[in-house]
Amino acid sequence: MATTAKPVQGKIKRPNIPSAGIQVPAVSTFEQVDNEILATLKPSSKWFMGLGLAIAAMLVGASAWTYQIYWGLGNAGYVPPVMWGVYIITFVFWVGIGHAGTLISAILYLFRAGFRTTIYRASEAMTVFAVMTAGLFPIIHIGRPWKFFWLIPYPNWRLLFPQFKSPLLWDVFAISTYLTISTTFLYLGLIPDFAVMRDKETNPIRKRIFAMLSLGWKNTDREWRHFAKMYMFLAAFSTPLVLSVHSVVSFDFAMALTPGWHTTIFPPYFVGGAIFSGFAMVWTILIPIRKWWNLEHYVTLNHLDATAKVVLFTSIMVGSGYLSEFFIAWYGGNAAEQEYFWNRVFGQWWWAGWILLLCNMIFPLSLFSQKLRRNPTWLWILSIIINIGMWYERFVIVVPSLSHEFEPWQWTNYSPSWIDMCFLVGSFGWFFMWFLLFIKQMPVIAIAEVKEIVPPKMLNDHGGHH
Amino acid sequence: MSTESGATGVKRRDFLKILGVTSAATAVTGCNTDHVRKLIPYVSNPDNTVPGVSNYFASTCRECATSCGILVETRDGRALKIEGNPNAELNRGALCAKGQSALQGLYNPDRFRQPMARKNGQLTAVTWDEALQTLATKLGEVRSKGQASNAVFINQHEIGSFPAVLDNWLRDYGMPAHLSYDADAPASAIAANKAAYGVAWPTLDFDAASLIVSFGADFLDGWGPSVPLQLAWADARGKVEGAPRAIYIGARRSLTGLNADSWIACRPGSELAIIQFLRGSKPVADAAAAADVSVATLEGLKKEIAEAKRSLLLAGGNGVDSTQVATEVAEYNKSLGNVGITIKPASPLGIYERLDVSAAVFNAADRMNAGSVPVLFVRGANPVHTLPKSVKFAEGLAKVAFKVSFTNVPDETTELADLVLPDHHSLESWGDAEPTANTLHLQQPAMEPVFNTRATADVLIAVAKMDTALASKYTMTDYRSWLVSRFPGGQAAQMLALPKGVASASSLRAAGRAAGDLGRKPAAAFAGAGDFHLVINASPTLGTGAGANKPWLVELPDPVSKIAWQSWVEMHPMACKKLGVTRGDLVTIETSAGKVTLPVYNYLGIRPDTIAVSLGLGHKSQSNRKFDADGDRKVPFYSGYGRYAEGVGINAVDLVSGDTDALSGAIAYTSMKAKVTRTGENIDLITTEGSARQHSRGIGQASTLAALVAARTKKEASHGATEGAATTQHDANAAEGGHELGPKEWGGNEHAFVGGAPTEFLPGLKSPVANDAQGDLGTQDSKDKGMYSEKHWSGMAKRRWAMTVDLSRCTGCSACVTACYSENNIPTVGATWQGRALSPTVWDTRPGANILKGREMAWIRLERYFEGAEDSENVFDPGFDTRFVPMMCQHCGNAPCEPVCPVYATYHSPDGLNVQVYNRCVGTRYCSNNCPYKVRYYNWFGYGEPGRRQYAFPEPMQMQLNPDVTVRGKGVMEKCTFCVQRIREAETRADLEQRPLQADEFTTACAQACPSKAITFGDAADPTWTVAKQVEDERAYHVFEVLNTYTAVVYLKKINHTVEA
Repeated sequence: MATTAKPVQGKIKRPNIPSAGIQVPAVSTFEQVDNEILATLKPSSKWFMGLGLAIAAMLVGASAWTYQIYWGLGNAGYVPPVMWGVYIITFVFWVGIGHAGTLISAILYLFRAGFRTTIYRASEAMTVFAVMTAGLFPIIHIGRPWKFFWLIPYPNWRLLFPQFKSPLLWDVFAISTYLTISTTFLYLGLIPDFAVMRDKETNPIRKRIFAMLSLGWKNTDREWRHFAKMYMFLAAFSTPLVLSVHSVVSFDFAMALTPGWHTTIFPPYFVGGAIFSGFAMVWTILIPIRKWWNLEHYVTLNHLDATAKVVLFTSIMVGSGYLSEFFIAWYGGNAAEQEYFWNRVFGQWWWAGWILLLCNMIFPLSLFSQKLRRNPTWLWILSIIINIGMWYERFVIVVPSLSHEFEPWQWTNYSPSWIDMCFLVGSFGWFFMWFLLFIKQMPVIAIAEVKEIVPPKMLNDHGGHH
Repeated sequence: MSTESGATGVKRRDFLKILGVTSAATAVTGCNTDHVRKLIPYVSNPDNTVPGVSNYFASTCRECATSCGILVETRDGRALKIEGNPNAELNRGALCAKGQSALQGLYNPDRFRQPMARKNGQLTAVTWDEALQTLATKLGEVRSKGQASNAVFINQHEIGSFPAVLDNWLRDYGMPAHLSYDADAPASAIAANKAAYGVAWPTLDFDAASLIVSFGADFLDGWGPSVPLQLAWADARGKVEGAPRAIYIGARRSLTGLNADSWIACRPGSELAIIQFLRGSKPVADAAAAADVSVATLEGLKKEIAEAKRSLLLAGGNGVDSTQVATEVAEYNKSLGNVGITIKPASPLGIYERLDVSAAVFNAADRMNAGSVPVLFVRGANPVHTLPKSVKFAEGLAKVAFKVSFTNVPDETTELADLVLPDHHSLESWGDAEPTANTLHLQQPAMEPVFNTRATADVLIAVAKMDTALASKYTMTDYRSWLVSRFPGGQAAQMLALPKGVASASSLRAAGRAAGDLGRKPAAAFAGAGDFHLVINASPTLGTGAGANKPWLVELPDPVSKIAWQSWVEMHPMACKKLGVTRGDLVTIETSAGKVTLPVYNYLGIRPDTIAVSLGLGHKSQSNRKFDADGDRKVPFYSGYGRYAEGVGINAVDLVSGDTDALSGAIAYTSMKAKVTRTGENIDLITTEGSARQHSRGIGQASTLAALVAARTKKEASHGATEGAATTQHDANAAEGGHELGPKEWGGNEHAFVGGAPTEFLPGLKSPVANDAQGDLGTQDSKDKGMYSEKHWSGMAKRRWAMTVDLSRCTGCSACVTACYSENNIPTVGATWQGRALSPTVWDTRPGANILKGREMAWIRLERYFEGAEDSENVFDPGFDTRFVPMMCQHCGNAPCEPVCPVYATYHSPDGLNVQVYNRCVGTRYCSNNCPYKVRYYNWFGYGEPGRRQYAFPEPMQMQLNPDVTVRGKGVMEKCTFCVQRIREAETRADLEQRPLQADEFTTACAQACPSKAITFGDAADPTWTVAKQVEDERAYHVFEVLNTYTAVVYLKKINHTVEA
C-alpha cells in the first residue's frame, strides 16, 4: 500500500543498492509474513523479565517523583543559577528520540524510501512512547507540578490566560500536537494489521477487541483507496511537525538571552540532532529485536546500511552545527559568548564538551566504512555511544550556559544528584515498559506493508510454469 | 509594660486566644506553639492599635555599646523590624546588620524561657519566686561570711544608667564594682585616646579631612562606634570632589582596607616603626626594612601626609605594642594640627565610658582559680568563649561556689552557672544610654516579654527589697519607675520624649573601677614559632561571637571573604602555592596556645607571610532532644550556644596565647606566629562568591576624579560642537580611557544590536514603560484606556520607581542584606537541619549545606570584585582595587524574565515594577535563566512550611514575620520587589489623607538601613524626588546596558582617589 517499491526482480547484486529498492528476498509468501511477524506477539519468559525490569525502573522514577513532590526540588542537583538540569536535559533528549519515528514513517514515506517499510512501525511506536516520556519531564521539572494545567489556555473565571510570548507555552502546544498526530498516524498504519490479527485470533474476547481496533477492516479496494489517501494526508501533515516540534523546543533556549543559548542556529541544529539521536535509538531497539525474534530477514543488513547513511549525514550536520557555533562565537566578538565556548572545550566543562564531540562527531565517522555500516554489533554499540553523546549535547547546552552567564559573581558548578538519576532511570523504565507492552500487543513490523514488497505467490507460481 | 508576667499571670497573646475561642480552658501560661488557625478581630482595640497598621516604638539598640537610636516596628503587639531612629543624631536612621538582628535575639528559639537552677548537676526550670529566694539567701550567706568584697560581677559592656545602678547595688551588698567587659573593644585606641586627648573616644570627622591614614584601625569592621563612623566615612567619600583619600596600613586588608584607596602592606607589628619614621625618630631604611615595604612607599606616605591640607590618622590594631603605636599616632595628629578639626575630643562619644580592660578580667580569673571568689555574676558577657584558654576562666569558674548568670541565651559561661535569671531582651526592657554628651537615648519595651524572663535591674531591686537591711533604700517599684523619677521633668516629660526616643539629659554616671590592675602578662615580642604571622580579627558581622546564634548574621557572608556558616584561614595565593594548598584545602594552624584545622581561603589582601583567622564562631552547641516527663520543653533543646551555632566554625581564641598589650592590658590578637601544615584534605568553602573577577563586564565601575572631570569637559565641548546632540554614556566612558568601561570592551559594538537601541543617556528611566501586560496582543484602544496609559485614572503609569546605588559610598558592610531579610521574610537556609537529602533517608547536615549549592535566598547580595593583582600566585601586588556592588532585581523596563514566564507570574506593573506573583508561579524557573543579573531566588524546599525539617522560622521566630509580605511556599520563585508593600502602604496612606505622595516620603528597607546612605529609592519620573536627580549624575550607569534591559537601578561609579588626583 504504502511504498512504491516494486516486487523483487531477480537476484540482488550488490549490497549498496539504492534505498528505494530495498527488498526482503528471504520472505516469499504472505503466510510467512503473517506467521513470522505475529510470532513476535507470543510472550516469553525473557520478555516478562524485561518487562519486570522496566517496571521496576519506572517505579524508581515514580517513587522519586512522590518524594520530590513532598519535599520540593531541593534534593535535585540544581545549583542556582543552574536552574535547569537533568530534567530538562532528559526532556529534550526524549523529544529528540521522538523525531526519528515520524521522520521514518512520514517523511521517508513521502520520499518513497523503501528501507522504511520494515523499520517504520517500531520507530513510530518509539516516537509515541518517547514523546510520552518527554512530556512528563516539564511537569517533573516545575516547582508546583499540581499547577501544571495553568499552562493550558482554558477559560476561567479569573480571566487568567497563559503568556503566549513564552517558549514554554509553545512547547505545550508543540508537544501535545506532536503526540496527537504521531499517535493517530501510528494507529492508522495499524488498522490493516489489526485486521490480520483479528482474522488469526482464536480467543473470542481478543478477537472482538481486534475487530473493534481494526474498525471492521475488510480489505476492500475502496478501503485501501481511502486508507492510502488518509495515510498520505497524515504523512504530509506530520512532516512539518517533525521540523517544527524540535524547533520549538530549541526556542526554549534560542529565545533566551543566555550566552550559548541565544543563537539562531538552534532550530536546524536541534532538528538534525533529533533525527540523529532518533535513528540511534531505532538501532538500540531494533537490532536486538531483529535478532531475538528472528526478524533478520525482514530488517536486513541493507536496511541497517541505509539508516547508517542517515545517521552519518545527520552526524555531519550536527557536527557542522557545533563548529559554526564556535565560529560565530569567535566571529561575533561577544566576550560572554566567547568565554562560554572556551569554557565548553577547555574550561570548567571540558569533559562534557569532549564527550559530546567524540560521541556525536568522531565515532559516527566510522560509518564511512561500509563494513561497519553492515555490522549490527558495531551499529548497536554506536547507537549507545550516540545516545550518550546526544544526552550530553543537551547537558552541554543547558548546564554550562547557565553556570557561566553574564554575571561572574554567580558563576557556579553543577552535578546531578541521586534523585536526578532516579528520574533518568525511571524515564527509561517508563519508555521500555510501554515499548515492551507494545511489542506483545501489536506487530512490530507493518504486516500489510511487508506484503506489498513480497512477490505475490501466484505471480511466482505462474512465472515458474511459463 | 514589662512588669509582672510570671508563672501565674496571663499574657497578652494568650489573652487574645481566649478572646478568640472564648474558652478559659486554653488559658495556659508560657509561649504557645500552636498555630492560631482563626483570625478573630479584637472586640475592643487596645489603645493606639489599628489592625494591619504598625506602631513604632523608639528605643535604643543594645547590640553594642554605641547605643544607636532605633525604631521598632510592631504590629498587633509583636516586634517585626528594627530600623535606625532618624531623630538620633548619632546614627541618623541607619543601623548595622548586628543591630537589626537583635530581633533574632528576641525571638531566639533557644532563649531561656524561665529561670533555671542547678539541681543534681543539671539546670532545671524553677519559678521566679524560688530563684529570687535562692539568690537572696546566697547573697545573705556571702555577706554574713564576710566574703562579699571578693565577689565578681562581669557585665557585657554597656553605657547608660544601668552600670551605675549596678555598681550602687553591688556597693550596698559590700561587693566591688562590676567588670564592664567587651571583647570587641578597640582597647589600644581607647588607651591612647585617654592618654592623648583625655577622653575614651573623640568624634572623628572624616569629612574635614583630605587624607585618612589608618594604622590597622578597622573603622568599617566594627572598630569603635561602627554606624556613626561609617556614616561619617560615607559622607566624606560621597562628596566625590574634595573627598578624602584613604590609605590603609596593615598586614591584612580588612573591609576598611578594601575601602581605602591604597594599601601599605606592612609586616604585622611594624606599624610602630612606620609611625616612628613618620615622626622622624627612625631612619627610613630601618622602618622600610622592619615593615618590609619599599623606601619609596614610606617616603611617599610621609610626603602625602605633609602635603595634605588636613589629615586624620587613626590607629587600631590588637598587637602587643598597639597602644604605643596609637599613642604615637595621636601625638602625630597633635603635631599635624588635626586635633579639634578632624579629631574632636571636645565632643566625645560615650561608647567606651567605664569600660574595663581584658586584664581586669584576667585578674578576676586568677582570683577565681585561687578559690577566693565566693560568688560570680555574669550578664551578657561570655568570657568562657572569648577569653584565651591560658586565662583559665572556665577552670576558675568551677572553683566558684555560686555562679549566677543573667544572660538570656544559653552560652558557654551560663552553661556552668548554678542559677540562671534570664534578663529581658533589650527590646523588652527599659533603660537609657548617653552616647554623646547630654543626649539621652531612651530605651523602652517594644512588646510584652516573649518568655518568662525578668529585667536584671528589676531583679536587683526585688532582691534588695527582700533584704531587711536594704529594703528601706530600695523603695522604687521597679527600674522603670526609677528611670522616670530621675528624668528631668518627671513622667510627663518622659512620656513626651519617648516617642522621639531622644532627650536632652544625662544618664547616671558610674565612677568606674580604679585603674591599676593592667597587664597581667605583658609581652613585648612575638609569641610562638612558625613560618607565618597570625592575625586574628573580629568578624565585622559576628564580632567576637555574640552573633553566632542569629541565623541572619551567620548566613550573612563575611564582607571580605564572602564565606558564611564556616571559619576559614586567609592565605595569600603565593603562600598557598608555596605550601602546595588550594582553596578549601584543610590546614592545621598551630600556635603556642593551641591548634585548629581550617580550610584555606586564598585572599589577595593579605601579606604572603601572614595568615588571618576570624573570631566569632566555634561555639559549643549540641542538640539535646530530651523532653520532660510531661512532654513539655523545660530543658533547652540545644545546649551551648543554640541550634544555629551547632557545628559552625572554630573558635579562633583557641589560638590566642593570652599575651597582652602592656600599656592597655588588652589581649594581643595579632602578635603571634603560627605553624601551618597541610592535612591533604579538602572541603567545600561555603561561599557565595562565584568569580571574584568581573571579567571586564562593567558591573562595578570605577573612575578617578581626573577622568570624571575630563569626561565632563569633553561632554561640554561636544555639546557645543554638535549643538546639543545627545552624548552617550558610552562616549563618556570612552573619554575616561579606563580599562573596564563597559559594553564595548566585552560586548562588541552596541550598534550591532538589532532594533537600534537608543543610546541616549540612561534611556531606561526616560523611556515609557516598555509594554503593557498584554504586550503586542492588546489593541490600541485597550492600551490607551488601560492602566498602562498615563491617562488612566490611577496615574500609576506616570511613576517610575527607581533606585540609585552610590558605589563611592557603599562600603560593602551588608547591612542592607539583613534589612531585606527582616523586611521581606526571607528564610535563612544554612542551618544543619535544612540541608538536602543525600539519599532518600540521609540528609546533609553540614551547616551551610544549602549555601554550598548556591541556594541562599538573599534578595539583595553584596558582590565584591577585585580588579588588578591578576598574577597573584607569583607576585604580591597590594595595589588592587575592590568594587562592592549591591545587586538586587534591577526592575528592568524591558525585562528578559517577563516574556518567558508561561503563566504571567512575572509581569510589569504600570509604575515600572517587575512584579512577581507568588500564587501564580508554577516554578518553571525560566525567568531566572533569562535574568542577566541572576537576582531571582527559588524556594527549593518548604522553608516557610511549619513542621518541615527545612522550616526557617522555628517558634517563636515566626513572630518576626512581616504580615505585609507573603511567606513563600516551596516551588515558587521570588526576588526583590522594591519593597512593594511599602510603596502601596505609602500610596494608600497618601490617598487616605487626601494628598499626593510626597517626595522621599518613604524608602525601601535596604535604603533605610544603609549606614552609608548609598542607596536612594524613589520615583524617577517625578523630578522632586532625590532619586530623579541622582539618575542624572555624571557617574551614573546601568549594569549590562548593552542587553537593552533598561534597568531601574542605576549605579553611580566608585571614585578612586589616586595620588595624582
